[in-house]
Amino acid sequence: MTPILSLRHLCKTFRTAGHEVQALVDVSLDVAGGECLAIVGESGSGKSTLASLVLGLYPPTTGEILLEGRVLPATRTLVHRRAIQLVQQNPASALNPRRSIGASLRLALDVHGIGAPAERRSRVAALLADVGLSADLASRAPSALSGGQRQRVAIARALACGSRLVVLDEPTSALDVLVQAEVLRLLARLQAEHGLTYLFITHDLAVVRNIATRVAVFQRGRLVELAATEALFTDPRHPYTRRLMAAVPVITEEEKAMRDRLAWEDA
Amino acid sequence: MNTLEIRDLRLSFRLPVGTVEVLHGISLRIARGERVALVGESGSGKSVTARIILGLLQEQRGVRLAGDIVFQGRNLLRLPPRERRAVRGTRISMIFQDPTSSLNPVFRIAPQFREVLARATPDLSEKAARARAAELLDEVAIPDAARVLDSYPFQLSGGMNQRIMIAMALANRPALLLADEPGTALDVTIQAQTLDLMRKLVVDHGTSVLFISHNLGVVREFADRTYVIYRGRIVEAGPTEAIFHDPRHAYTRALMAAQPRITGGGLPDIPERSDDFLAPLIEHEAAP
Amino acid sequence: MRRTARILAANPLSLLGVLLVSLVIVGAVFAPVLAPFPDHRGAVVDFTNFNKPPSATHVMGTDVVGRDLFTRILYAYRISLLLAVVVLAIAVPIGVTLGLMAGYLGGWWEYAIMRLTDVFLSIPPLVLAISIMGVLAPTLVNGMIAVTAMWWPWYTRLVYNIARGEKVEGYVLAAEVIGASRIHVMFREILPNCIPAVLTKMTLDAGFVILIVSSLSFLGLGVQPPTPDLGSMVAEGARYLPDSWWLAVFPGLAILVAVFGFNLIGDGLRDVLGADR
Repeated sequence: MTPILSLRHLCKTFRTAGHEVQALVDVSLDVAGGECLAIVGESGSGKSTLASLVLGLYPPTTGEILLEGRVLPATRTLVHRRAIQLVQQNPASALNPRRSIGASLRLALDVHGIGAPAERRSRVAALLADVGLSADLASRAPSALSGGQRQRVAIARALACGSRLVVLDEPTSALDVLVQAEVLRLLARLQAEHGLTYLFITHDLAVVRNIATRVAVFQRGRLVELAATEALFTDPRHPYTRRLMAAVPVITEEEKAMRDRLAWEDA
Repeated sequence: MNTLEIRDLRLSFRLPVGTVEVLHGISLRIARGERVALVGESGSGKSVTARIILGLLQEQRGVRLAGDIVFQGRNLLRLPPRERRAVRGTRISMIFQDPTSSLNPVFRIAPQFREVLARATPDLSEKAARARAAELLDEVAIPDAARVLDSYPFQLSGGMNQRIMIAMALANRPALLLADEPGTALDVTIQAQTLDLMRKLVVDHGTSVLFISHNLGVVREFADRTYVIYRGRIVEAGPTEAIFHDPRHAYTRALMAAQPRITGGGLPDIPERSDDFLAPLIEHEAAP
Repeated sequence: MRRTARILAANPLSLLGVLLVSLVIVGAVFAPVLAPFPDHRGAVVDFTNFNKPPSATHVMGTDVVGRDLFTRILYAYRISLLLAVVVLAIAVPIGVTLGLMAGYLGGWWEYAIMRLTDVFLSIPPLVLAISIMGVLAPTLVNGMIAVTAMWWPWYTRLVYNIARGEKVEGYVLAAEVIGASRIHVMFREILPNCIPAVLTKMTLDAGFVILIVSSLSFLGLGVQPPTPDLGSMVAEGARYLPDSWWLAVFPGLAILVAVFGFNLIGDGLRDVLGADR
């Protein structure tokens, strides 16, 4: 089967006033349809650059990105935009404070001409219902919503144009832990119901363990380890992966034992 | 004797739309050299508590405070503003979440350090301040103090800035350190190192710590005792081990259950709200 | 909206501003009804009544050719308000559009637009207006062109600064990822976030436009006789000070009332809308 997304020898170098920063160095990987691929790393690992390249916010320095086997051009057309959507980290900034929730959701429908204009209102209501929100939130301003509700709206917006691939950029790290739990369950449910493929960018390994199909670990712009989630967490191969795991703050004895085992094996 | 004792602290804000109660009478105590955590979600009142102890909220308009905050035998809420300000930065100091924004970007580290030291020793010479700062930086495992002191904060990494903040916070050997989500803005590997370092230093100096966090894992690793706060009320209190081993309050249980485990077990299914979360305080017996 | 009204009401100074501006607007709009001698707005001469101090018939006295001053002030308000509305109606859309383009599109656009703005802002406004009207004839239309030419750059700069900040917000990225056009992002996403600041500045500026137009007329470069204008009335009246004090004082007060009123509203709006952001 053709992977939904393929990255081939992707490099990105930023040049600023005399400096040259290699944000991404020769990254190749395939994302299979319907999977949740976690992109894990710390700041400077290149995981955000990867997301921007996939979304076409700027072109790679070298290498190419293939969507369902076809090379994506440097300048994306509306069809390409429609195919890949994004959920951002900070729900407070992701929704325009001066536009209603309904207007923010409707934008995708208007831009891509989805449904007859007259029935878009009911589509917005359906989108809200899909993420577990009431339809009368459509007329509200973002400031009237809680952080969790705003993130649900942002998720609904990403689904509005029927994309199959969604880039989730730290979608729960700005949320409280109880809210995070609900949003993660929502993401898992939507993935199953709509057959979505997720590129889940995060630094939180505990979240990764429970939602990802496979994990790609990045360090300083390089892909250092790529493995199925179970395999990675039972037998992490790369020293950096082990270091990341050893640093996770844990709450149960069982987790502590796992962490200590990794640390002991390292020593 | 307790370094800090808060009794029935109430806080409300008077706004044009009415009065908003933020703290509904919280009580907590920190013994000498004890590390105490206040854990809760955003808006629970954990950060304002630290700001009140530091005296940063008292001067704001529309703030109403009641209760007692007794620090080393003196009630901070009844102290005249001048004396309250004298305590800040000398006997009580604070570490904030984002180290880079808590340092002034337009000054080098050395003059900022001198300012901190001058709060306790006003007649300190520049040379003496520099020497003392170098000693303190050495304590937080920054060996090339000379270079760091002549740098601007933006020339240093986030982890480095965080360590400088810790060195500054402990520079005047405070009796109480308030740490508001320290290291949250940092990468996990740096965060772990930072917390280890902080723990070692406060143990060495016998400093009492109020550690404010939303991260249960971090709290477990750092604190001797823990208070769980929910919507302006302490809902569970006790030794950290006891709370993590046997959480009794519905809210504490929900918090723990909602945290995904690195060992797996699937996504937690926990309601965001429940009436049980408002149940009265449960206190664990103190360890003998 | 109701909240805005309530907060304005709680601020007595802005309420005073609303009152003053309403008086000015009512006076201007209903001038034909309210003015005791409507035909005095034009070139009328009444030598039996010239240069009379305030009295029951002429509450603000009469001018050197015998025209009722109160009537002429009401009609002068019509011209002043019309000028303020027309100037802002042209300058604001131009300034705002250029500001959005410079702030959001960046690059070459930003460079060209902002340098042009700098050039205009570096010339003292009155000097620019005087030179434009020196080249063209000193008529009402040219007065408007002159004032408009010096007004738009302020809006460009204001909107540019806001747009540059909003550009990095998540909602702009979201719209781009969806595939929304640049026009949409500028006018439907970023512009609504500039509106409070623009509205505040417009209210403040309405007073300043009146003041500038009056200044030009005072110099003989604005509205030409016999059309009544506050600035030229002050200029003319000043020659008869201090004996015929009413000739300069009442038109001067009239300018003060309008400018002061708009400024008080502007300050009030700044507090309300500023707190909103």
